[in-house]
Amino acid sequence: MSEVEQVHFTEQRLAEIDALVKKYPSARSALLPVLHMAQEDFGYLPMHVQQLVADTLGLRLMIVREVVTFYTMFREHETGKYRLEVCTNAGCMLNGADELVQHITKSLGINVGETTSDGMFTVTEVECAGACAGAPVVQINNEYHEKVDASYMDAFITKVSSSEEGGQV
Amino acid sequence: MTTLFINDEEVTVSAGTSILEACREHGADVPYFCYHPELSVAANCRMCLVEVEGWNKPAASCCTPVGEGMKVTTHSESLAKDREMMMEYLLINHPLDCPVCDQGGSCKLQDYTVEHGAKHGRYSEVKRAVVDHDLGPFVSTCMTRCIHCTRCVRFADEVAGTGDMGVLNRADHMRIEGIVEDALESELSGNLADVCPVGALLDKPSHDVARPWEMTRHKSTCTQCPQGCDIVIESRGDKVIRIKPDKDGVEPWICDRGRYVHDAFRADQRIVAPAVREKSGLVNVSWDEAIQASVDVLKDKRVGIIFSPDWSVEGLASIRLLHDSVFKDAKVAFDLHRRDMREFAFEEGFSMSSAQIVAADQVVILGSDLRQRLPILMQGLRKRGNEGKPVTRIGAMNYRTNSDLSADALIRPREWVAVIARAMQQLKDLGKTAAGMDAWLEKVEERHEAGKLLADALLADSCALLVGEEIRSHSDASALIHGLDLMMRASGHAEAGADGRNLIPEGMNAQLLSAVFGDIRVSAGDLLDAASDGELDALVLIGSDPMGDGLFSMQAKRAMGKVPLVQIGAIAGQTSEFANVMLPAAAYSEVEGTFINMEGRIRMAEHPLRSLGEERPLWKVMMRLVQAFGEEIPVVNLTELRARIESFLPEVSGVWDDDVTDDECLLVARNRDANSMPNAIEPAMSLDVVSRYSMYREGMWVRASSYLVEAGDIHALDDLLVHPNTLKDAGLSAGECKVRTTSGDYDYHIGVREDVAEGVLFISKRGVAGDLSCEVMASLEGGQ
Ligand code: SF4
Ligand code: SF4
Ligand code: FES
Ligand code: FES
Repeated sequence: MSEVEQVHFTEQRLAEIDALVKKYPSARSALLPVLHMAQEDFGYLPMHVQQLVADTLGLRLMIVREVVTFYTMFREHETGKYRLEVCTNAGCMLNGADELVQHITKSLGINVGETTSDGMFTVTEVECAGACAGAPVVQINNEYHEKVDASYMDAFITKVSSSEEGGQV
Repeated sequence: MTTLFINDEEVTVSAGTSILEACREHGADVPYFCYHPELSVAANCRMCLVEVEGWNKPAASCCTPVGEGMKVTTHSESLAKDREMMMEYLLINHPLDCPVCDQGGSCKLQDYTVEHGAKHGRYSEVKRAVVDHDLGPFVSTCMTRCIHCTRCVRFADEVAGTGDMGVLNRADHMRIEGIVEDALESELSGNLADVCPVGALLDKPSHDVARPWEMTRHKSTCTQCPQGCDIVIESRGDKVIRIKPDKDGVEPWICDRGRYVHDAFRADQRIVAPAVREKSGLVNVSWDEAIQASVDVLKDKRVGIIFSPDWSVEGLASIRLLHDSVFKDAKVAFDLHRRDMREFAFEEGFSMSSAQIVAADQVVILGSDLRQRLPILMQGLRKRGNEGKPVTRIGAMNYRTNSDLSADALIRPREWVAVIARAMQQLKDLGKTAAGMDAWLEKVEERHEAGKLLADALLADSCALLVGEEIRSHSDASALIHGLDLMMRASGHAEAGADGRNLIPEGMNAQLLSAVFGDIRVSAGDLLDAASDGELDALVLIGSDPMGDGLFSMQAKRAMGKVPLVQIGAIAGQTSEFANVMLPAAAYSEVEGTFINMEGRIRMAEHPLRSLGEERPLWKVMMRLVQAFGEEIPVVNLTELRARIESFLPEVSGVWDDDVTDDECLLVARNRDANSMPNAIEPAMSLDVVSRYSMYREGMWVRASSYLVEAGDIHALDDLLVHPNTLKDAGLSAGECKVRTTSGDYDYHIGVREDVAEGVLFISKRGVAGDLSCEVMASLEGGQ
């Protein structure tokens, strides 16, 4: 394994993890929440962060790898600042999700799964977001945007692209 | 106990047994993939479905415990349908390439498809393909065939202890992956091919070589380490294709050393014909000529004999017969790791079975790289560790064990006395003592804190000591072992039935060797020195290679060529260069013979493979020599020979008449009067020399196996290693240094590792620096 970077949890984080671990019969049970914390702290979960989680909880790296790769919400690769996750499951598909994906990828000039060269947007397709009433649904970072259409996405993309700081979503 | 009904038959099994195990015990056939008797239950293949009366859906029998009065049905129309569906599902992505798959013929997937599968497939969509991995020199992969039973993952986790395999992704993207891409870091990796129920993980050395139905199988005993595993040799014609663990054997696994050594059975290095040295080199001659040549070399000479402990009991006893008939005054050695020839209070061999050791309250490993030395016993300790039971280790190197040790202390060999004294003091303070303990204790002033670990373990109800090579090769070994013996007595671990004194032997047959050769054995180093110094006129090597193995390679190299050499054995090795006569003796796979393992278990090899050339069983070679020397032949057949063995070692009486059982173990020799006291001489040099035992390098057979040589290269470390502080204390830095010893100064590259105890010069590689193994002490100075 390449020791690309030395990463550490902050003292405060470690205290949080400690408290969390105590709630479970074994440290392994705390793996999911700790992975979420790590993703929050480091943005995504490359190998050396997975190793950090493994070391922190006293687990084998493989156990961490298994969980990280099982759940699509854990990201092993760097993404754009805005992750546009378009639901393409039945309800959204019937309400135009496929066309929406086409529109977004075309206007950003990337394929599904890719990130724009300025590092602003990543487009992915996801399964049912559990908000079918608002189909089609696009989850942008941690927020749901419902009944989305092409012009809504255009407006959103223009808004955040033009604002220097990336704007508030 | 729980009573239930399997297919209307009333059976009783112990409570908590799974339905599947109950069915297996009582001969009811239930198909399964992911279940494995030695691994934890994963219950992910769903092939083991059975019906339980009153339950509204079938139950996965591998993870359902039996219940009182349960009525289980293993075959019904609806189960047949379920199994058919499971098979259809498993075959969706399977390539169905049985004709080119090595597993074909012994594949669960293939068998169950015939037995339970649909008549034809309905799936016509795209199948997925999965990238293969490199899992080291012994396992080849075809991951597209994987059915995700996760047996391999659990094996790596629970048995090998490396945990470097896992299941990544999910659903259609699921795949088995190794985290170490270039090598599976386990000495047990060969078992993966056996564990995989399909053709995804296969035996690499025999890949595309033979099919299961072409091979014949012989039960035999592995002699590559004192464990003496029960093996099955699979061969086609005269060629050994694979070695596997015997399913009915004591242990479910075998190590890579024992498994892949078979490459050496047919290696160029085999001695297949008698030969004598002429000007042009070794020339093959007839047996008569070679025997005559041996007589010419040895007649009326002062002879030294070094032999390997791994011959069969019959072969070893015949060496003694040769000695008594022809070379009454010969010096004899067989242990290439023992310096101190004074009697040991407890001789080599185990007083406990592996199962008892694994079950003991406390286990203490004293100075041993147990994973390399006894990989299968180490596996048992790992299992114990997984259950949270303690394993303590004290020694000169933080050897990798692939398991959790409860306590671990690094000490240097000269500190053993202080460690034992510290432990003894603690016992004494608690009022536990044994006759002679005070006298021993008085001899030692220093106390080393690591002794607390030892004493704490000794205070448990049962405690197994595993005394390793660092103590056995110690120059004051007899005193250390006496000290340990006293403590074991003091703490009640030396009584019959609770005897925890286990001294890891050099090789097989330790119990026989101490009985048969106890009175005439000398140190191999002294014997070789005697040859160099003109005190011997000739050497006889019988399956032993002191140039390549053990501690005395420097002495061996000095002695070779000084005196004529008669080499008897199966592998030529590097000593053949110096041999005046070579006599071929049959390999352990080629003889009808008896073997005794470290626990004292007796094994009979009865179905030998045919020899390659003109090899004869060792005992016949020995008797022929006796005859050629004009002496009366002491025994003419195996029956007579065995009768003689019974007179040497009465405990073996009867083993050749009845079936021996697994629980019958020979006792280890004890010497109540071995009471060596620690010697208080100030060490003359600053460093202690400790040399590594590598399972991929030690042993003539191993060095003749190209597979194991390749594995040895993967596992190699720097030649010489020291702790960083050792270098700092000497004011040196890693790199070229001068190693100063009593036998001279040498320039070597020194590497640094924190795993080595401070003050130890660790020899990790044979060959280059291996010759330094004969040294007990050394010091370091800067190089040029
Ligand atoms: S490789 Fe073999 S043992 Fe491992 S999960 Fe696949 S089928 Fe099972
Ligand atoms: S553990 Fe020892 S006896 Fe068993 S297979 Fe390995 S080398 Fe042979
Ligand atoms: S189908 Fe898109 S939110 Fe359910
Ligand atoms: S054997 Fe029971 S689920 Fe696999």
